[in-house]
Amino acid sequence: MENNNPNNIPNEEAVIARRRALAAALQRSEPVIVTPTGSVEIEGEADENGLSGIEVPAGKLA
Amino acid sequence: MAFYWYQRDPELYKAEVETMRRFFPSFKINQLPDGSGRLYWRGKVQPAGEGGMVWDLMLIYKNDHPHATGGEYGGSVQILPVQPRLKDLAEKMMPLILETYGTYDNAAAHGFGLGLPHIYRNNFGRNEEYFICTADPKYFKAGLNRSTSAASALSWACKWIILCEMWLNGEIGDDLALEGNY
Repeated sequence: MENNNPNNIPNEEAVIARRRALAAALQRSEPVIVTPTGSVEIEGEADENGLSGIEVPAGKLA
Repeated sequence: MAFYWYQRDPELYKAEVETMRRFFPSFKINQLPDGSGRLYWRGKVQPAGEGGMVWDLMLIYKNDHPHATGGEYGGSVQILPVQPRLKDLAEKMMPLILETYGTYDNAAAHGFGLGLPHIYRNNFGRNEEYFICTADPKYFKAGLNRSTSAASALSWACKWIILCEMWLNGEIGDDLALEGNY
């Protein structure tokens, strides 16, 4: 799981694009899941991609 | 009466282990070597997915697990990032926070008194460490029939991490970092 390719630009762009989508989803309070590697995924997209994980319980930041 | 929650309630211990093995199989359980008897899980997560930052975390049970009272941010499962260390990250951010909010008091009034959103400090061993505030105590379940597990706390923490990474990168503003619903 080590991030051993930090200068890989396309990968970095993909990460940024993914974060943008996630930020928008979080702003809309859409449900997200966390996969076994700890990756945070938008629930609807995770279903489409066949990913499973634990649904983050409802609640507010302390 | 047994002092440790895992002796007092072996069924809860079993459920905790099963839930973690189901959702986060790479995490391993152990006991702190400080004589406190506290159990902890340790493992790595990558909330931004492939190519993102890897966080090495400890999820440490308080001996009164499951338990949550007002002011106990995150309830009886404490989340300590080992790498990156939150205290180091927070200290790096503090000059920028002070520049943004003018004074320490104003930064604290806006929720940035420690340099990062939603963290708290506590003694850990010989050091003071910064922990992730996962969820408001009112969302931490500590009933007889249902309690918040380490797996739930870890899922909250992963969501906190992604919000924190976005905030550190300037991808989201202070408002979302502070108000993101968990």
